[in-house]
Amino acid sequence: MRICTKSFYLVILTLLVNSLTLSAQNNYVKKFGNSVVFAGIEVGSKGVKMSLVEIEKTTLQNGSLNVMKDTTVNTDFISFTQATYQATLAALNGLYDMALKGYSIPANHIFTAVSSGVNIQAVKENKLTWVDQLTNAFRFNFNEPERKVSVIDVKEEARLSHLGIVPDSRRYNTFLIDIGSGNTKGGYFPNDNTKDFKLFQLTWGTKSTSNAVEKRLEGDNSLDNYNKQLARVLTGAENSEIVYAVNESGSYPVSDNVAFSGGIAWSLATLMYPELIGNSVVPVTYEEVLSFNEKLLKNHSSLSDNNIVKTLNDKTLDMDAIAKEVKRVNQVFDQRSLLAGTGLLLKIMRQFESVYEKKSFYLVKNGAVGWITAYVNQNSSN
Amino acid sequence: MRDARSLILLLVSLLLVLVSFVLIWTWGYRFYNKNDEFKVAAKLVITDSNAMANRIRDSLQKVYNETLYKLDTQLDSTLLNSDSLKKQLDIKLAEFYRLSGEITAILNRRNNNYADIDVARKKIGELQSKADDMRDKNQVVDSENKKLTEILDQVQKAEKISDKNVKQGNAENNVAVEKNNPAYSVFTASEMKLSAITVNDEKESETFFADQTKKLVGVFTITNNNSQLNSAEVIVVVQQPDGRVLKNSEWESGSFSTPEGKKIYSYKLNFNYSKGEPKRLYFSLKADAYQKGNYTMLVYYNGTMIGKIFKTLS
Repeated sequence: MRICTKSFYLVILTLLVNSLTLSAQNNYVKKFGNSVVFAGIEVGSKGVKMSLVEIEKTTLQNGSLNVMKDTTVNTDFISFTQATYQATLAALNGLYDMALKGYSIPANHIFTAVSSGVNIQAVKENKLTWVDQLTNAFRFNFNEPERKVSVIDVKEEARLSHLGIVPDSRRYNTFLIDIGSGNTKGGYFPNDNTKDFKLFQLTWGTKSTSNAVEKRLEGDNSLDNYNKQLARVLTGAENSEIVYAVNESGSYPVSDNVAFSGGIAWSLATLMYPELIGNSVVPVTYEEVLSFNEKLLKNHSSLSDNNIVKTLNDKTLDMDAIAKEVKRVNQVFDQRSLLAGTGLLLKIMRQFESVYEKKSFYLVKNGAVGWITAYVNQNSSN
Repeated sequence: MRDARSLILLLVSLLLVLVSFVLIWTWGYRFYNKNDEFKVAAKLVITDSNAMANRIRDSLQKVYNETLYKLDTQLDSTLLNSDSLKKQLDIKLAEFYRLSGEITAILNRRNNNYADIDVARKKIGELQSKADDMRDKNQVVDSENKKLTEILDQVQKAEKISDKNVKQGNAENNVAVEKNNPAYSVFTASEMKLSAITVNDEKESETFFADQTKKLVGVFTITNNNSQLNSAEVIVVVQQPDGRVLKNSEWESGSFSTPEGKKIYSYKLNFNYSKGEPKRLYFSLKADAYQKGNYTMLVYYNGTMIGKIFKTLS
């Protein structure tokens, strides 16, 4: 019975990936006249992601690139169960096959890597063998024993994220902070070169904050109590870690821009500025996030796809696309998760708010493909 | 023995007769004395009229002083509280002081006779009735004052609320005016120009052809003669022929609020400013390709459109 279920699961996943492969035939538009397309496949904590990156031939060294497509298959690898392992392997194989056959990208233009989140969790749970087994199975499947599947450490991932997300013109005055589900990481380049990277880390993320609040509820599951306990959790996090971490990073004097990536940044950018659906980055102020937080608490229903679309009157906007994206955000983050993530974001933003100097804040929507894009760019030039 | 008893009875009878006689005599004496007292009193009045007049004058002086004092204190408050009745009060006061002067003159005379004192008494009565009248008037004035104070308070409260509303209204009107009418905006934009630039042999020159355009360069002059601002921010929107906003970089564009709703901007310019200074501002926008047709450049300050021009590329 168990074998049957597994087989059924794998068949479904393979069919899904194959159907994606078939529909992906030449399904992208190039931006540059003379360019090369690369693919980056990342095994992450939540799933396997693939990004198709177009890099202009003449400026390979400068990294003038265009992210043409990104695809994610959710597999939850860090649960380290047989089912999630099989799902992750199937997704990895499927996406590689899609890049190779569907998009006709040569194998030497396809880069594969395992994210730091997987590595950290594997070390913590003593499951490093699962990671080795996964990469070996993948190499064996495509008969590529020499294929490099790098396991990226947290500092390198943060550095690559900066390179993949922040444009060159803002490279040395932008502090990038990725608010993940379990933790927050980021950093900046302090010495006007892209080798030296100052890492910033917090043990708080959207989910871990929410979990800490849930533990404090003690039977009273009302929203008021959730909000009250959230304030306490965040005050604790701020006093014990956030203030110290930001000060220790030394980023304040050298950063004009503070950019936030991660799921909560994507959610807020989508819900707060639906009219900027085409932008992968949106500017935001502390006051705007604060006001949005109030709206989340008191009028969450106004953030439904229908209600948000009703507020827009620009006829050039693609209302269907906006409604779809808003719906996706509301499916991923419920009211409480949004409150937890926004609260954490506000606590970090507050460290950069000053009477004398204002930093420019940005919410990055495509942070998920940031590091793998930079990884592709870095390796393609090699 | 019998003789002794008769003797005792006789003595008792005599004693009773004696007591009766004494009682009758006492009653007759008291009756007589009463009439005599009245006669003596009448006599005294007649015989010592000066002393009596002095005594009466002193008591009248006391009553007069007391009346005067009470009236003075009430008049003080009346004077303070009833400016509108000042004339009327002045007339009453003049009458009062005339009366009090007459009374003082009578009382100061040492050789006053009974008739004079009677006149003084009458005048004091008159003075008291006038004082009572004025006291009543004062009470009326006081109550009127209270009513007026209450009305004044209500008016002031209403005024404050109305002031607040007016201020808010003015602010809203200003905002509305600023937002709706460029003429009332803090800044004005002038000398606006939007140029299409082409590059030939690394040299930049203006073009009117969409397919030759490498970038769009905008320039305009901002002036503010109304208020002192150290720094300001203006927003530029460049609409392409298809109505979509031309964006240079996602890091440089965003959205902003206007009375018509949220709009996407192409560029945001922050600058330092001194009052009255004509500030020339520049920006450039690069796109992958440029459409043929009319481009619209709009300049906004604080959500209000302060300038608009068109540029046609063929």
